[in-house]
Amino acid sequence: MLALRGIAKRFGATNALADVNLSLRGGEVLGLVGHNGAGKSTLIKIVAGVQPPDDGDIRIDGRPVRFHSPHDAYAAGIRVIHQDAPLVPGFDAVENCFLGRHYPRQLGMIDRRAMRRAIAPIAAGIAPDLPLDVPVALLSPTQRQFVRLLKAVADKGRLLILDEPTAALPAEDAEAFYEVLGRTRERGTSILLVSHRLDEIAAFCSRAVVLADGVVVAEHAGADLTPAALIRSMGGSAAGIPRDAAAPAVAPVVLALEGLTTAALRQPVSFEVRAGEVVALYGLAGSGRSHLLNAVWGEEKVHSGAMRLEGMAYAPRGPRDAVRAGISYVPADRHRSGLFADFDLVFNKTLPLLENYRRLPGLPLPDPRAERAAFLVAAERVAMAFGSPRQLARTLSGGNQQKLIFSRWANRHSRVMLLDEPTEGIDVLARATIRQIIGAIAGDGNAVLVSTSDRDEALQLGDRIAVFRHGAIVRIFTRAEATPELLSAAAQAREPQAA
Amino acid sequence: MTPSTLSRFGTLIAFVLLCVGFSLAAPQAFASPANLFNLVQQMATLAIVATAATLVMTIGEFDLSVGFAASLAAVICFVLFAQGYDVWLAVLAALAAGIAAGALNGVLVARYGIPSFVATLALGTVLSGLAFGLSGGESLFRQVPDGFKALGRGDLFGIPVLALWIAGVLGAAGFVLAQTEFGRHLRAIGGNAQAARLAGLPVRRDVVVTFAAAGGLSALAGLLLAARLGSVQHTMGEPLLLPAYAAVFIGTTASPTGAPTVAGTLLGVAITGVMVNGMTIVGVEPFIQRILTGVIIIVAVLLRRFGRRAA
Repeated sequence: MLALRGIAKRFGATNALADVNLSLRGGEVLGLVGHNGAGKSTLIKIVAGVQPPDDGDIRIDGRPVRFHSPHDAYAAGIRVIHQDAPLVPGFDAVENCFLGRHYPRQLGMIDRRAMRRAIAPIAAGIAPDLPLDVPVALLSPTQRQFVRLLKAVADKGRLLILDEPTAALPAEDAEAFYEVLGRTRERGTSILLVSHRLDEIAAFCSRAVVLADGVVVAEHAGADLTPAALIRSMGGSAAGIPRDAAAPAVAPVVLALEGLTTAALRQPVSFEVRAGEVVALYGLAGSGRSHLLNAVWGEEKVHSGAMRLEGMAYAPRGPRDAVRAGISYVPADRHRSGLFADFDLVFNKTLPLLENYRRLPGLPLPDPRAERAAFLVAAERVAMAFGSPRQLARTLSGGNQQKLIFSRWANRHSRVMLLDEPTEGIDVLARATIRQIIGAIAGDGNAVLVSTSDRDEALQLGDRIAVFRHGAIVRIFTRAEATPELLSAAAQAREPQAA
Repeated sequence: MTPSTLSRFGTLIAFVLLCVGFSLAAPQAFASPANLFNLVQQMATLAIVATAATLVMTIGEFDLSVGFAASLAAVICFVLFAQGYDVWLAVLAALAAGIAAGALNGVLVARYGIPSFVATLALGTVLSGLAFGLSGGESLFRQVPDGFKALGRGDLFGIPVLALWIAGVLGAAGFVLAQTEFGRHLRAIGGNAQAARLAGLPVRRDVVVTFAAAGGLSALAGLLLAARLGSVQHTMGEPLLLPAYAAVFIGTTASPTGAPTVAGTLLGVAITGVMVNGMTIVGVEPFIQRILTGVIIIVAVLLRRFGRRAA
């Protein structure tokens, strides 16, 4: 259906894409993987008509096409589905599907029944359980993702390009999503699936191509299409090396939680974290694990119970108190909660502890030279790749942006380090580096709490693993006890609950 | 000239061209010392109100009460004069009222989460009601001490007093924004308020302090206007609102990331000031002046957009 031949794109001196060949048959699901910066986004933009290629040609059904705008690509049946593509919250699924299309009319009025008649059969074919008459604001994130698919297919989409479609979905819903996507494919729709989640690529795609430095370096299919094989082609090592040297049980307790509850943590949480120890908080999205970090960070109100920091009562009124008490925090969702994208790297690094870089003690005037020096030290410690300390944070790759946020706390000894989904949405190599950094932080004697929805990450990092479900800890495993199966069973055990 | 330098310095170049143009068109009248003195006088109040707007826009908010706060401060001061109070007492009371009104704006926004557009418009309406009531709707000009009038008139060693006010206020605000921890916090809040809060910055306190400072500066602007004119009407500050934000927006076209800066705002004030002054001298009719001013703001922002896209 789609064939790309010799696609090349240059930005200044860099070759974003050099001679990419790729083909996709009708009803085929092709996986596209590669590190951040490998050229995936550029390729998507070219196929979607956002940018023209410098060289090469695009054929659809054998005929060469030239996209001058996203509109041309749309007319050719190409639909890019971003995970946060806007839907109108107050409109139901049918109304959202008709946005931007001609409304069927009767006597000059919009014919809502005809709209529903047009959408309902398609919806029944791919997502039979999706409510069509409810405002999408009331649907779950997964259901909204179904609406995006439905909208794309209903308006004559023939090639769907999905970029990290499950990143924002609860882990338990990924399966349901791929079921719906599978039924979409059966209609003859072609799908280009771009994801860092290699297990999903391996499970769902019939073929996958690996992009590195703007070139297709490998193609996998059949028995050769496994996460490990993909990682090898991407030039990484598949081995998730567990941290060695678990903290000795004699190390002093740094943070003690005593029967803590918040609005989201309904059952009292009690455990202790020792110096040099990593406690992984594992659970599905919404299981309450991140709320525990928020409570320690002073961002979420504690309803009952208490915290002790090195034996002293600790009751933060806000993040400021937590910073002063020697606690550090790397939030989830770095774009919304961590990064100052339009500011330079030094600004991003020194902001939370500006008072450490004064020109004169007692005078609240930052010294740019001291800041720059501290930045360079911290950047090396977190292995950040950058061009200049003065470049804007938005110009870094995802992995380096995350390292930038880590670097904020790299020049001091933190008593407690709180990390929320520290490797979400970054590529395999950067992920490995960041896990090493986390190991090193613990090795320096910091107590570390890592909240993660990635089971392998929990197993790899945690000296102990606390499994959360429905706002409570169901069990705390030691590293020796924990197995992937036990963690999953603990996190997902179904409980009777009101729908 | 590359597109990036054009977008960087285009606004400044436009200002220079404007000055050169008017100087050629009216060499005697425009470029004379007397007119420059006059120009500074006209620009001073606007520059200070625009600085208040710049501070608030730095944290990504709006303060629509600046003009009303200016009126109220001037009214309070002149009412106290009429009662025979001392100059300093009256001035301090007026400034305190401006700061208190601004702090209240800040509390409504930071503590109660009311969008600043709504909160400041509503509180501004309250302030204008208070100014109306206190003044009785009449022009106040009796028993104004000469010492007070001197704050906004004449010169010091040949430099207009109001030019010194501009230099002092804008210099201080620029220093705070660019060089201090507090200023860094404000820019971070404007860049990403949630990330600023999660990084442990005292966001609520910073927001309240910013609005309070904006209220205080607005009051100061109202007092200087009153000192220059020697009389006060309860609506005198209101026409400052739109030109102040126009100046800030023109100023943002001169900053690399589009964030407001004090220097940019000063440039914006100068451009609008020179436009009005120059067109009046050249004899452009007032209605055309207004149309041209509006058009120029739109063109400036559009040019900025294109410059950015090309860069």
